[in-house]
Amino acid sequence: MKFYDAVVIGGGVLGCFTARNLRRWNISVLLIEAAEDVCTGITRSNTAIVYSGCDNKPNSLKAHMTVRANAEFEALCQELEVPFKRCGSLMVSCGPKGNAVLQKKLEKGRLNGVPGLRILSAAEALELEPALTKGIHSALYAPSTGTVNPWQFGIAAFENAIYNDCAVSLHNRVLAIQKYTGGYVVETEQGSVRCRVLCNCAGLQAAQVQEMLFPPSVRIVPDAGDYLVLDKSVVGPKHIIFHESEESGKGLTAVPTVEGSLLLGPTKRPCTEEYAAVERNELESLQKLTQEILPDVDLKLQIRSFAAVRPNPQHVIEKNGQYLPDGRSINSFVIEEPAPGFYSLIGIKTPGLTCADQLGAYLARKAADYLQADKNMRFVSKRMAIKQARQLEYKARAALVAQAPDYGEIICHCEDVTRAEVLAAIDRGAVDINGVKRRVGAGLGRCQGGRCRLAVEALLKEAGHEGL
Amino acid sequence: MKDCELLIIGAGVAGLTAARTAAESGCHQVVLVDSKAKPGGVLLQCAHQGFGQGLTGPQYIEQLLRDFPKQVELQCATTALSISKDKVTVLSGAKTGLQRLRFQELIFAAGCREIPAGALQLAGTRPEGVYTAGQVQEMMNLQYRVPEGPAVILGSGDLGLIMAGQLSASGCKVNALVEQREKCGGLPRNQLYLERYALPLLCNSTVSRVYGERKLEGVVVHNRQSGKEYHIPCRTLLIAAGYTPERTLIQGLGAPEWLQLCGNCKAVHSMIEGVIQEGKTAGTKAWRNIRSGVC
Repeated sequence: MKFYDAVVIGGGVLGCFTARNLRRWNISVLLIEAAEDVCTGITRSNTAIVYSGCDNKPNSLKAHMTVRANAEFEALCQELEVPFKRCGSLMVSCGPKGNAVLQKKLEKGRLNGVPGLRILSAAEALELEPALTKGIHSALYAPSTGTVNPWQFGIAAFENAIYNDCAVSLHNRVLAIQKYTGGYVVETEQGSVRCRVLCNCAGLQAAQVQEMLFPPSVRIVPDAGDYLVLDKSVVGPKHIIFHESEESGKGLTAVPTVEGSLLLGPTKRPCTEEYAAVERNELESLQKLTQEILPDVDLKLQIRSFAAVRPNPQHVIEKNGQYLPDGRSINSFVIEEPAPGFYSLIGIKTPGLTCADQLGAYLARKAADYLQADKNMRFVSKRMAIKQARQLEYKARAALVAQAPDYGEIICHCEDVTRAEVLAAIDRGAVDINGVKRRVGAGLGRCQGGRCRLAVEALLKEAGHEGL
Repeated sequence: MKDCELLIIGAGVAGLTAARTAAESGCHQVVLVDSKAKPGGVLLQCAHQGFGQGLTGPQYIEQLLRDFPKQVELQCATTALSISKDKVTVLSGAKTGLQRLRFQELIFAAGCREIPAGALQLAGTRPEGVYTAGQVQEMMNLQYRVPEGPAVILGSGDLGLIMAGQLSASGCKVNALVEQREKCGGLPRNQLYLERYALPLLCNSTVSRVYGERKLEGVVVHNRQSGKEYHIPCRTLLIAAGYTPERTLIQGLGAPEWLQLCGNCKAVHSMIEGVIQEGKTAGTKAWRNIRSGVC
């Protein structure tokens, strides 16, 4: 039976950053992911926001982590060669209730040390962001809010973990966990491995994974949310817009993404199925809200709608030998340590993406303490992204094409993605069109793969991936 | 930087016709670029006999290319990345590399793109098995693959009908054509497929929901008049919901004198004759502009 110092269960953004951070120490690591590729679960449908930290309870771990993560985000994204846009956010109110919320967030934010927070009058907000409706009352401006592509961010950490000798087992489900003297045995579909430290980053399944060995403490009751994506030709807001509605739970979030598209949503509703399914009335309410808050945004530029299932952790109560969620959503990050060397991130919700590296580093420090591990002096923090022709000026691009002709062949016309980039995505682990899309953006644009999908499929097939 | 008199983007029927017309009128240097490996545009994937005197798409293109004027420099597998206001384009190709080309006149004939499923108000999951009708046409006629049946087709315009016929002929059962209008939207000759294969056409209806977690399992069809909903099992859903003229490259250029549009990027055509006419007009006008500029 193989042995690793640490096993990470789950290859979402949290698992990828945990694995990467564990490798900063002399800790051998295996990352196990049930799907064929990483970042295919909750990471895939995230609102893509790097929060400022004005929403979190002062002095909480969440507040500390968020503010710190936000401040370090440029450096992290430079290291991982992932695009990050510090576009700032405007939380807008349209009435007295909203104004009060803004004031409260301003105070919280100041206590948390969020830089540059200001309440703007309607006129000031409109000057800064002309896309907003004239009907707003006031706005809370947070210049440090930003946006990152969640999958690119997670995949970058994954690639860097592998570069630093993290072992990976994909398409492999964990079936059971046993204790043994000094550690754990993880039984998977592909056999068993032993480890001393177990990091449970299994996303929606995190509670089940912990319950393989321990009594229930927290259960995940998923929420669902719906999103709309508008083509990058949209004339929309330059800032992230949070609309603080007078009616609770009916706000709008609009994110001008790093790709240039506009992401609208999520709505919030109970999740009725195990997987995400879009509800039409939710899309309609999103569209209506967008018309109210961002009246000039052309909704005809819609290119995609999708739904997301999001974790929502609740404590469990025991009743007649049965464990049931208590119905109250836990607001803080749930980081559990049910036994030495066993760490669980259960139902990490907003701002989990923002804090992914912080949470990963937190678990890694705990593991390093427990294992009494030294720093890994050979750790290389730099990750090289796939070179993108579209990022280059004419001369550099011409030189690249002359040197590597595959960079001359355009596969995805909407996003200007070349054959060389698609091949690199496959080389780095994409096994289907979605994996290629997540790595290099082919199929992400206005025709949604209408023109490039078959070409990408053909390249996948050549590489031995039959697809679904 | 290279120069040419006339640049034509898109070597489909419109671009080919414009190139021939301009060259035969006297234009010396025509550069015709197309991102695909061969000229012909969308007709290359049209196996039905719907062009000219009962020709298939590839046959029609073959005819169009016969005795093609030598003044036309055809660059296939070459994509125009940008067009600037000072009349320079950047072209990219694996063989031709990255090149800048200055032109006097531009004919834009980039065709159209299909409206993707994502632009529709489709409720439900996002499983594998949802294609645009054109993708399935390309899959069947250029890659020689038949999608998994049964299929449902959203939209009974010409492409929806043609694909319904082709799928049926290839052994892929078509469980329904769903049409939001009161009656079928295609040409009478294409409506014949409905009878020939006894295909159910559901009018006043739309696909309101798709289901299946990873792989498509079926759709819900909503009838607007009766308010009733029907579950129809299928493994493939074809979206034949229409087209958008492809003008991304010329966005922001305005309407300068040196730019002509022809073919499906100008307006979507259902008959080839209209495309030919526009190609001829654009080619003639471009040459006239070049000549008057020189004089």
